[in-house]
Amino acid sequence: MGRTSKDKRDVYYRLAKENGWRARSAFKLLQLDEEFQLFQGVVRAVDLCAAPGSWSQVLSQKITDGHVVAVDLQAMAPLPGVLQIQGDITQLSTAKEIIQHFEGCPADLVVCDGAPDVTGLHDVDEYMQAQLLLAALNIATHVLKPGGCFVSKIFRGRDVTLLYSQLRVFFSKVVCAKPRSSRNSSIEAFVVCQGYDPPAGFIPDLTKPLLDHTYDPDFNQLDGPTRIIVPFVTCGDLSAYDSDQSYPLDLDDGSEYQYTPPTQPPISPPYQEACTLKKKGQLAKEIRS
Amino acid sequence: MDAQEDYIWPRATSELILLPVTGLECVGDRLLAGEGPDVLVYSLDFGGHLRMMKRVQNLLGHYLIHGFRVRGDPAVGDVDSQAMLAVFGSKGLRVVKVSWGQGRFREVWRSDLWSMSDWIWDVRWLEEKVAVALGHNSVALYNPMLGRLLQEVHCTDRCTLSSACLIGNTWKELTVVAGAISNELLVWYPASAADLEPVTPDRRVSGHMGVIFSMSYLDSKGLLATASEDRSVRLWKVGDLRVPGGRVQNIGHCFGHSARVWQVKLLENYLISAGEDCVCLVWSHEGEILQAFRGHQGRGIRAVAAHEQQAWVITGGDDSGIRLWHLVGRGYPGAGVSALCFKSQSRAGTLKAVTLAGSWRVLAVTDTGALYLYDLEVKCWEHLLEDKRFRSYCLLEAAPGPEGFGLCAMANGEGLIKVVPINTPAAAVDLTPFQGKVHSLSWALRGYEELLLLASGPAGVLACLEVSAAPSGKAIFVKERCRYLLPPSKQRWHTCSAFLPPGNYLVCGDRRGSVLLFPSRPELYPTHGVGIGVGLEVGGKAVAAAVAAVLSVGGGGEGDGSTPTEWGPVSTLPALHGKQGVTSVTCHSGYVYTTGRDGAYYQLRVQSGQLQPVLRQKSCRGMNWLAGLRMVADGSMVILGFHANEFVVWSPRSHEKLHVVHCGGGHRSWAFSDTEAAVAFAYLKDGDVMLYRALGGCTRPHVILREGLHGREITCVKRVGTITLGPEFDVASLLPLDPLEPGSQGPGLIDIVITGSEDTTVCVLALPTATGAAHALTAIGNHSSSVRTVAVWGASTPGGPQDPRPGLTAHVVSAGGRAEMQCFSLMVTPDPGTPSHLACHITHLSSHRLDEAWDRQRNRHRMVKGDPETRYMSLAVCEPDRPGLDPLVAAACSDGAVRLFVLQDSGRRLQLLAETFHHKRCVLKVHAFTHKSPGQRRLLLSSAATDGSLAFWDLTAVLDHGATALQPPAEPGFPHQLGTPCLTLQAHSCGINSLHTLPIGEGHHLVASGSEDGSLHVFQLAVELPELEEAAGEAEREPQLRVLEEHTVPCAHAAHVTGLRILSPNLMVSASIDQRLTFWRLGRGEPTFMNSAVYHVPDVADMDCWSVSPEFGHRCALGGQGLEVYNWYD
Repeated sequence: MGRTSKDKRDVYYRLAKENGWRARSAFKLLQLDEEFQLFQGVVRAVDLCAAPGSWSQVLSQKITDGHVVAVDLQAMAPLPGVLQIQGDITQLSTAKEIIQHFEGCPADLVVCDGAPDVTGLHDVDEYMQAQLLLAALNIATHVLKPGGCFVSKIFRGRDVTLLYSQLRVFFSKVVCAKPRSSRNSSIEAFVVCQGYDPPAGFIPDLTKPLLDHTYDPDFNQLDGPTRIIVPFVTCGDLSAYDSDQSYPLDLDDGSEYQYTPPTQPPISPPYQEACTLKKKGQLAKEIRS
Repeated sequence: MDAQEDYIWPRATSELILLPVTGLECVGDRLLAGEGPDVLVYSLDFGGHLRMMKRVQNLLGHYLIHGFRVRGDPAVGDVDSQAMLAVFGSKGLRVVKVSWGQGRFREVWRSDLWSMSDWIWDVRWLEEKVAVALGHNSVALYNPMLGRLLQEVHCTDRCTLSSACLIGNTWKELTVVAGAISNELLVWYPASAADLEPVTPDRRVSGHMGVIFSMSYLDSKGLLATASEDRSVRLWKVGDLRVPGGRVQNIGHCFGHSARVWQVKLLENYLISAGEDCVCLVWSHEGEILQAFRGHQGRGIRAVAAHEQQAWVITGGDDSGIRLWHLVGRGYPGAGVSALCFKSQSRAGTLKAVTLAGSWRVLAVTDTGALYLYDLEVKCWEHLLEDKRFRSYCLLEAAPGPEGFGLCAMANGEGLIKVVPINTPAAAVDLTPFQGKVHSLSWALRGYEELLLLASGPAGVLACLEVSAAPSGKAIFVKERCRYLLPPSKQRWHTCSAFLPPGNYLVCGDRRGSVLLFPSRPELYPTHGVGIGVGLEVGGKAVAAAVAAVLSVGGGGEGDGSTPTEWGPVSTLPALHGKQGVTSVTCHSGYVYTTGRDGAYYQLRVQSGQLQPVLRQKSCRGMNWLAGLRMVADGSMVILGFHANEFVVWSPRSHEKLHVVHCGGGHRSWAFSDTEAAVAFAYLKDGDVMLYRALGGCTRPHVILREGLHGREITCVKRVGTITLGPEFDVASLLPLDPLEPGSQGPGLIDIVITGSEDTTVCVLALPTATGAAHALTAIGNHSSSVRTVAVWGASTPGGPQDPRPGLTAHVVSAGGRAEMQCFSLMVTPDPGTPSHLACHITHLSSHRLDEAWDRQRNRHRMVKGDPETRYMSLAVCEPDRPGLDPLVAAACSDGAVRLFVLQDSGRRLQLLAETFHHKRCVLKVHAFTHKSPGQRRLLLSSAATDGSLAFWDLTAVLDHGATALQPPAEPGFPHQLGTPCLTLQAHSCGINSLHTLPIGEGHHLVASGSEDGSLHVFQLAVELPELEEAAGEAEREPQLRVLEEHTVPCAHAAHVTGLRILSPNLMVSASIDQRLTFWRLGRGEPTFMNSAVYHVPDVADMDCWSVSPEFGHRCALGGQGLEVYNWYD
């Protein structure tokens, strides 16, 4: 496969490289903002599961006189104007560190574009993604101001209505949004939760994970007509590039194609050692008698 | 709820599931396999004939089974015939008691299905209770009989886990080993909790660089094994884990997988690991790989079980296949390479060539012209003869047959051929059919009646020698029967030959890659002159030259006075296997199979004296030098070939390398022989004969308990038709594999369904209505990228409409990535000899790629290809109602075009006719439908794109008059333009993933579409045709399309609606990625919800529905990451 193949297969991958974004997902946040004006009046923003850092890049550009904190378990290359915390979003210490950085003030916006490394077993992947979202929600309940906004990636699988019902508990307005830069063929979408309004008497507690809801025979049925499905909004205007379309290398805007290398290659992936060994031919082989 | 009572109908029930096998467990002599919510039970005690016993349906509701835990204590009763099982997966847990006394598997009792608050990673029996390790590092003590939570203890570190392992037989000694998201192992003791306070981990063990997917603890040796995302397996010496504070020592760090490792299992002497690379590795506890089991397809092996007494490992894959492998310990008994120690003081010269007569006699010839025999039973070399004339150049070939007929042939550079009876070498016969070098020698055997030796000489002469033996057996006779002439080429000699049953023809392959057909007795069948005439037409230039040569005077036999006639081929497939040549031809059950050094094998057919290619198949990846093909006793075939420096026997059926010999490559003298008892491969290396022998022949040592389906996601499903098996096919015996399946009575209806997949193959499936089973009839792998869509046309019966014989024929076109389209015909006929009672014949008709011109360009590696990498997203065939017209196929393309192709000559030619870039966005769906009104018939096409818009086109004129009805192309050489659509409509705000129509009379059609946002859009489309008289004079006028009644259901589903079918004017069914199959009532304003069923296949990409029969009702197939078939009645 030539190096231009990926550029041709995915126009946003290519545009991201050409515009200096660390990942194509930057366009998703930009298009979500077009629809919801997410950054209006935002001074303090938190990017959870930030690596490789494209959403932090967008936040730091859009929130010019504010604070952006990026949290991830993995190491991430530094970004100007973004404070990085390498930590676990399920830990109370991480929440405290974020608030400390905001000098005790709560955040206006919490975003999370994290996804687990998919295993291909759909029920496990959907569960893991739900846990990530709930962990992000849990930490958001610590750091978000009342009326604040929470944006997170969501997989619309079998049990997505359980997540919707969970989010409805904490936010007055929950919408499912799909930016045009997110492919039709992907089950990914984004929940935009506005108006943080925890139920009366709710005490944030990071020592307990938020567990996902169960099907309810009255309000959220497994196979009945009553399900909590939040409104769906498509973001980004129709003149934007279509992420499913295959484009020629020379785009219509008249510019001539030039290959751009990736902005930020991955930092120490888990398979690094295995790859090094394979390259050197040192993987174990069958012994032969 | 009462109001919903009348909404119960129709109710869909699942009748068949093909999903990844996610749980496996041996219980006594049974194997339990978890597939979705069902358990498959196999009996393992049948002495090699393992068989499926039963499918226990729907144990876990809408959860998928991830594991089984057998209650170990004897309180249960007779452990040899019954067991208490805890079955778990996701958040569900159920206990079942099963018994298998008197060869009958029974479910004695089952508890309710209990739902936990969190994901279940492990379950362990603690006498009559169970401990359950949950998703956020907590342990619940549970009474599974009553469904009561007795106690729940948390760890202080409540991170999300990726795996957990419970150890111990009582609550007191219960130990949790948890794989945390931080890549650490946490060891903690739930019973140490004071007043249900969270428990602090006793130990934290780090080492892995990725999350841990699986763990296994071996109590007897105090070992723990872990499998990780970092592609390694670690072995830890932990001692007794139930004792707090013990030392943990990493004693092995095993890198052998080339992708993530999903499963690990510790046995007394082995460590078994399996992963995403579809390989199951058997390690010693010292970290050496003892065996590697390869054969699963797709995204990996998900489940592993072992039966230690029988030394079996059983694996379950993402391809829904289940395989059983034999553990053999260190090295392979009965297989291996040995040197035959030819070099000796008494034997002069060095070896030049080797051959095998049967699998136990090796023949070798030296550069002194000496022929030697090595008998594997006597184990010594025997000098047979010496002839100086074979000194410098000598070919050596043993005759085919189980013992090589006791004959071998030698040939030299001067045209001398010597046929040697191995047992009486003194009776050897010499013959010089021509002067000049003998380029190649090959044998052809017809039963035990006719044995021919073919020798290629200079200028394409191919001498055909008849070899026969005297009745006494002491003398042999060799006489030239006839002479053939090969088509001219630089390296003009044949490479292989075989009789075509019944024996009138010989099929030969040549060094130029052509496959040739010669009459075996040309002088007896002079009518074959006619054949030559036809050959001219088919073979083109090469044949023309050959025919000319037949008529000319042969050049070889000067001075002889009489020159034998040289017969040209009656049929030629020129350069079928490319420039590197054909390597073998084999005839089997009506087909000819050829292999070549282009890495492909062909299936050919001879019809009225002409060779016709049927299907080209590629062998395993990287094996470009195919050397031969053998039919195995069980009816499957194996491919011989050279893969880099290895000789490989590869099974296309099981995707397995059955034998691998490190011989150094194919550029040396070698021979292969297989009998039922053993295979042998002999080759020359370092001046000696090396011999590889393996007992058991080419049949695989391992067992496929269940064949896999697709290795990756299914992208399309299409039903072709139904076959009714006559009374001679006893339906009750249709599936001898599972005699206990209920409902095996009834009419013998079998649905034939085609699936396409991301794994680049198209699969033909048989789904009998009687048994709820699925049989993969054949897999076609000629796409170079993923298959996204299939369309079917011209479904009929083998005898045509006049002579309805049982069976089914159809034409299929498949398309997908790299803008590639393949067209083939399909014929399914009853065949009592196969497990499915069906035989499936595929003939490849044509292929098309948009960028074919690019592939022919020179120096393309130096250029950047600027064209978009177009994918075909969807296909629709428009069939004409009159004979003589070619059908059209419309393709939705990812580059924003809708393209029209014409299928000429029943699909043998695919030609791009027209295109339109109307949508300017990725087109996701096309759907063709017919509008009928008195006296008129219009063919309409609808297309849908990622922006939620629909467009309708009238294709009637294109179908009737071809390209003349279209706008001329913008530039010469480009396809025609389709023009403007008749109607456009903004149906949704985002991509349309499903589309269907149904005529409802009065010139109206119902159109329904489903979108990415989970919404449905249904409207009535009115088609108004211009008056006939009006249109007669001038160019035909387009019909007027109007939208009448329009309805939208915004939140019909929680995700993409990928399947949609209007079943009747008042009933519609939709399927979505949210895993619901929902029925909607139409015709009373807005569609109303009737009922829905939760199905198990994730990521459903396509759905097809059809009605089978009044007794059986309707069926619907859902394809995604697996396949599920639902059934309902009117």
